[in-house]
Amino acid sequence: MNQTLINSLGSIKRKIVNFSRSQKFYLILAAMAIVVILPPFLSNYVVSEVLTPMLIFAIYASSWNLLASSGQGSLGHAAFLGIGGFVSALIAIKLGIPPIIALFLGSLLSSAIGFLIGLTCVRLKAWFLAMVTFGFSVIIVTIFSELDDFTGAIMGFPTPLIVDRGLPFYYMSFAFAAISILAMYLVMKSKIGLAFKAIHQNELEAKMVGINTGKYRLIAFVISTFFAGLAGGLFAQSIRYIHVSVFDPYYSFLPLMMCVIGGLGTIEGPIIGSAIIVTIDSYLPRIDDALHGLVGSIFPAVSNVGPPLRTLGLGLFLLVIVIFAPKGVTPLIKKTYNYLRNSLKEEKSK
Amino acid sequence: MQKSLIVIVVVAIVVVAGVVAAWQLTQVPSAEARKIKIGLVAGYQLAEGQDMDRAAKLAVKEINDAGGVYVSEWHTSVEIELVTINTENDSPDKSLGPVTQAVEEEQVDLLIGGYTSSGTLANQKVAIDNKVPYIITGASSSLVTRRGPQANYGNLPEGSELRVDDAEGMSYMFHYCTTTADYSATVVKFFAEEMKPLLDSTYEFDDARNLRLAILYRDDAFGKGVVADSKAIIEAENLPIDVVIERNYPTTATNFQTDLTAVKAANPDAVYVVDFIANTAEIIKEGQADVGLNTVYIAVECCEDPAFYTLLGEYGSEQLLESKFAPYAGPPYYLESIATYVTNYQAAYNTLPGMMGADTYDAFYIAADAIERAGTVDKAAVRDAIESCAMDQKLIITETGKIEFSTGTDYHEIAPVTFIEQLVWNTDVNECRSVIVYPATASGVGTLKQENFVLPTAYEPGSP
Amino acid sequence: MITPELIQALLWGVAYGCIYILLATGLNIIFGVMKLVNFAHGQLLMIGAYIAFTVATVFGLNAYLAILVAMGAVALIGIGVERFTFRKVLGTDKLNEIFVSLGLIYVFENAAVLLWGHTARQIPSPLQGLQLSIGEGLEINDRLLAIVIVIVILVSLFLLLKKTKIGLAMRATSQKSTASMLMGVNIEKVYVFTFALGAALAGASGALYGIIFNFSPTIGALPTIKAFAIIIIGGLGSIPGAIIGGLLYGIAENTAVYFLGGVWRDAIAFALLIIVLVIRPTGIFGEKGE
Repeated sequence: MNQTLINSLGSIKRKIVNFSRSQKFYLILAAMAIVVILPPFLSNYVVSEVLTPMLIFAIYASSWNLLASSGQGSLGHAAFLGIGGFVSALIAIKLGIPPIIALFLGSLLSSAIGFLIGLTCVRLKAWFLAMVTFGFSVIIVTIFSELDDFTGAIMGFPTPLIVDRGLPFYYMSFAFAAISILAMYLVMKSKIGLAFKAIHQNELEAKMVGINTGKYRLIAFVISTFFAGLAGGLFAQSIRYIHVSVFDPYYSFLPLMMCVIGGLGTIEGPIIGSAIIVTIDSYLPRIDDALHGLVGSIFPAVSNVGPPLRTLGLGLFLLVIVIFAPKGVTPLIKKTYNYLRNSLKEEKSK
Repeated sequence: MQKSLIVIVVVAIVVVAGVVAAWQLTQVPSAEARKIKIGLVAGYQLAEGQDMDRAAKLAVKEINDAGGVYVSEWHTSVEIELVTINTENDSPDKSLGPVTQAVEEEQVDLLIGGYTSSGTLANQKVAIDNKVPYIITGASSSLVTRRGPQANYGNLPEGSELRVDDAEGMSYMFHYCTTTADYSATVVKFFAEEMKPLLDSTYEFDDARNLRLAILYRDDAFGKGVVADSKAIIEAENLPIDVVIERNYPTTATNFQTDLTAVKAANPDAVYVVDFIANTAEIIKEGQADVGLNTVYIAVECCEDPAFYTLLGEYGSEQLLESKFAPYAGPPYYLESIATYVTNYQAAYNTLPGMMGADTYDAFYIAADAIERAGTVDKAAVRDAIESCAMDQKLIITETGKIEFSTGTDYHEIAPVTFIEQLVWNTDVNECRSVIVYPATASGVGTLKQENFVLPTAYEPGSP
Repeated sequence: MITPELIQALLWGVAYGCIYILLATGLNIIFGVMKLVNFAHGQLLMIGAYIAFTVATVFGLNAYLAILVAMGAVALIGIGVERFTFRKVLGTDKLNEIFVSLGLIYVFENAAVLLWGHTARQIPSPLQGLQLSIGEGLEINDRLLAIVIVIVILVSLFLLLKKTKIGLAMRATSQKSTASMLMGVNIEKVYVFTFALGAALAGASGALYGIIFNFSPTIGALPTIKAFAIIIIGGLGSIPGAIIGGLLYGIAENTAVYFLGGVWRDAIAFALLIIVLVIRPTGIFGEKGE
């Protein structure tokens, strides 16, 4: 048996034991309890179209976050979301394999293609890598459209579900999200994660201290694209229909926005970012008509100013975050929380 | 780290509480007499979606101003409340969520709209499952009403995921629009009946020479549908047309010289351009200005829009447009209702209407009529009332002059009349206007044709 | 294999390469001097097209004069963008530049929707309806004029970089920013000027684009990608490289479209780009790594 492996297993075990005694362990348990207990009291729409996508995009954004933690900012992650979605649905339909197994096969294939794309990317600098990943997503969407006779991508088709829409699908997504994010957390806390960080901070220095940067960057690609594929498989089921539009650059930019807004490089950032963006997407459309009534007369060129005005706001929000709060909104929430806690304590001590 | 986990908990609680609050705020108390909620499924990122929105607002205002809809069950007239359902670019992933929200949360009484075929095939499932009447005014694929048992699953192969087994659910779907088969038929018949004889007599071609047709299409469900249907009709009716080249390009393409060069090399007599407004205008322009392909171009009806005429400029002159609603071929118009609509639309929005909005406008009247006849907003009763609709045609002309939804294998479709317009340069407005050149008559309106079709001045026929 | 049609297709590649060369040159100057990639560069092109459209239709200005207005206006926008966004993240994590660009893309596209709507537009060409012939079979049209204008702009740019003080400062900065700072070059001023210059080129290419093609608020993305591909093929920071890259790219794309069909247009272009990068991570003509 490999000595380093035993050591690292031992350290993980120690960490878990320490962790289970800590206060935050109970806090996580409490949070999980809320997320598990509350949904049956909510409407079907909120569970299926708001909470479930939050979980799925939390996986997706976390996978992007993991890749970015090694300094590699992908602008083509939608390729893997789409591969995971299409392949898992197609395998399930054409080969009659249970959707749950198809989901894993889809993720594995996404990861395999991620490996191949990663091979071409490991030598590239930030901008080139962004461009090449974007380019690959264009190539992959072209292939899927051209193989339409087999993929059915152009008209699209309904996806087979593992479990029923609503609560069952929510709980399944929750299980997948919890396991996936925990797995990515462990990777980022491990030696591999440290190597990612070293590469991100200064690739040259990382190389000099003996880190095989190419290997680690490739590992980041493989792990990240696996979870992106998994998220894609779940996403295809949650929207119940898959179509070539899942490769849209919108879905490549989405995890980036979630990570930046939530807090890049942290484990909770993508989760919070996903919660914020999905909530905005689900609830703000309801104020569109009000917005139009308010300022619609200023912009006669559009019949409803709501949607562009909201997206413009999102762009500004992103700029403000990057420029003024590069760590995302999480520290702001922490500060607010601490402030509240301290003032509560003061109240008590009085 | 500890703090961050506390933060997770706090955020989770805040988010969940917010969601619950938002959900409770949107719950509608169901009172006896209330407004009728009609959801408009439209992609607001698209020019066509904006046209649909404007037409819908116009129709709702007209109906409400005239006293609303009388619901006998409530012994009173009530207003229509327009619920906008923004599907952004109308792709499946963007349209399912908003439609679900409108059906499950807003509890709309009826849905109207839909634009892309794939988006509609995806979002109509919500209406099918919840049994909400849905008057689909876009979607060129006939599958939107034919994928159920009533129409033998639209000839989808066994095991196809697109099949819907829920016959009851499918009975709530209505298609108030033309399908690719409808307009492909008009286009190829025009070429066979009108253009081929004209070519033969002008250039003394042998009668055995088939008309050489090129098809240039966008690589999506719409483009593929038109190509497949056109070829099927040519074959089924044994029309004297050869499709000499079919060429597709990605939906993201912005210039087409190279594609047009390949088309020119095939020596066609006419080019069928299957795309939306901006690209079609670009193709017709580049074909003449850059590639020197001086032929007859024919555009699909979704280009019947002010933007198309503006973009084409002088390059539109003497080219063709297949359509089912002709705000540019008048006044006077073949139907009086069109004159009224065009005037009101112009007064409200300071622009001419497009075609997508015309279907939507009619659909609101169909819905109002059905609810009034049903005397209730009960969804099954409304569905039956739409099925037995016998209104006079409004903006879209039909073969019988009445709006009637079929119950045969062309399940819940109307029988629209489509026609061919030729664009004519108009020096007064410095833009093209159109005249109807085919067919001669339509049973619902009598004479339709305004002028004879002429070959464009610079026209060059394909190889003999 | 070589047919007249193919040759014609290649000529289209050259003609349309021109607009992208202009855009790519702007992107490249900014990169060369500031070591910054503005992924929202195509959105500046789009804004340029709309500004030219507005001056040409509302004020009835000649479309070719509107190019100058578009250049000036977009340069001003560029100054604002540099001052309030990119300057704040310059020198931090490279990913931040990508994030800022994305934010700018959302802002510009939606601002354009609000101001001009979703409808596709075209700048009315003053040549519409005129038949100007210069000799046998040669006709003055917008495409030909566009090529001439691009050449004029590139020559003036070359003179600006070689013959003026600010050009010298830019070249000095692009080679070593700290050294040039020591030599008394005001780096901030150079950066602002560079970004404005790059934006002005984007504005000019936008106006030309709008005269030749129709456009809508979402057209910016593809030109950015193509411009980026061009400077990667041509080598980052090299202006002659961008010109050769633009021509190569245009020809490659149109050859692929001609033989394989239009659906492969973008995929082939990217495949080419990726192959170039795998073989030479700094581009064909790129000398220095970063």
